[in-house]
Amino acid sequence: MAKIIVVTSGKGGVGKTTSTAAIGAGLAMRGHKTVVIDFDVGLRNLDLIMGCERRVVFDFVNVIQGEAKLRQALIKDRRLDNLSVLPASQTRDKDALTQDGVETVLNELREQFDYVICDSPAGIERGAHLAMYFADEAVVVTNPEVSSVRDSDRVLGLLGSKTHRVESGTGTVKPHLLVTRYDAARVGRGEMMKIEDIEEILSIPLLGIIPESTAVLRASNVGTPVVLDDKSNAGKAYEDAVSRLVGEQIEMRIEAARPRLFQRLLRRAS
Amino acid sequence: MPFQVRGRFFTAVVLRLTGAADAVFLEALDALTRKAPSLFANAPLVLDLEQSEGLRQKEEFAELARALGSRKLFAIGVQNATARQSAAAAAAGLVTLQGGRDAEPGRGGRGAAPAPEQAEPAGATMLVTEPVRSGQRIFADRGDLIVVASVGSGAELIAEGNIHVYGALRGRALAGVNGDESARIFCQSLETELIAIAGLYQTSEDLGPAVVKQRVQAFLRDEMLCIEPLK
Repeated sequence: MAKIIVVTSGKGGVGKTTSTAAIGAGLAMRGHKTVVIDFDVGLRNLDLIMGCERRVVFDFVNVIQGEAKLRQALIKDRRLDNLSVLPASQTRDKDALTQDGVETVLNELREQFDYVICDSPAGIERGAHLAMYFADEAVVVTNPEVSSVRDSDRVLGLLGSKTHRVESGTGTVKPHLLVTRYDAARVGRGEMMKIEDIEEILSIPLLGIIPESTAVLRASNVGTPVVLDDKSNAGKAYEDAVSRLVGEQIEMRIEAARPRLFQRLLRRAS
Repeated sequence: MPFQVRGRFFTAVVLRLTGAADAVFLEALDALTRKAPSLFANAPLVLDLEQSEGLRQKEEFAELARALGSRKLFAIGVQNATARQSAAAAAAGLVTLQGGRDAEPGRGGRGAAPAPEQAEPAGATMLVTEPVRSGQRIFADRGDLIVVASVGSGAELIAEGNIHVYGALRGRALAGVNGDESARIFCQSLETELIAIAGLYQTSEDLGPAVVKQRVQAFLRDEMLCIEPLK
């Protein structure tokens, strides 16, 4: 039976879509049949990050409303055989998503895939609610910063009460903490929160620490999940996070900030 | 200041009229008060008008309040009133209340069996073992509240009695909300946004460095909210 994992955060701009793409691609690289779904109806982005925006014909809302078959809307990734994308509609809004419709589509995807990764929109309203509602596990994306941590705490409260597993009494949604945009140098200077403090406040298991990296923006702009960039720290950190997500024990590495190239050059010159 | 302003919760009895406020109604009411004399003793009475749309004149409300008053029942307001009923009730000196919650469904309603006369067991303690997340509100309406985890910033704990937090308290904690001035708040690490006992409150801005992130207790002494580290 496939696992449904929601990538969520409450706060916007913390890296949900980047993380969805990276985790989806990471799972596919390991041979798991994976689909990533964009729940951000009206503000779709996942197709861009996945680099398939020019191949979108039908979308999630078309499938829910019976205007297209699921296989017509699914876009197969050109780099990874095991990876598919279900894009959101850009012309509708979140009201186009219905609970029954989402459930039907997710159940159909469960039959075909090993992992279903739901990219939640920001906020705690309808889109975010439906993205988390049928999840088995949740990746809570958090920046090392107080407002992001508080919003994640709020989302954890919702995961513990407003989900199908909890409401039907069949279990709980297993949460994972993914800290993104982590900058060791700024943490050292006291400008960012320490990992231990975030863990202490949210008290859920840590899945990974993704360092702030120029590779992330570069990957977004060319439409390649950053995990495919095996030279970048961020890509490696996502690979580790994916390993932990499938149950492997991997030591948590926090990369020390490396001096930038021109700083090294300056040092050499002086 | 010649006065103090406090927020308080009071318990009220809701009387839902299922027909006209006529002699039959008053007779049934008398029969009930004879059977359970302490049921309405000193409790403010709220009239629920959901099923009595016919009652809409100021005089009718005034007459009903008088009839209740002569039985030592004191109507203070109405709920589920239409706009017209609200206006008429206001003219008769009754306030329109909103958002009331039944203490126990069915009790006090539609000719239900009179409630048992003994008081409810006091001090029902509520225990919470999971972290209280931002945005969650926990209300222990009949006693103490014990949280064996942390309370997130933006969460709210409300208790009729004491509040114990065996973790960091980052959200709000309001103890003794029914006016119990002997209620206390205990926590392992005080990082709160606001704490209040019996309506007297302090925000995090008022907290001195001696108590922040310390194990403390908060209590009232001479109408002052005191916070002291636990030895």
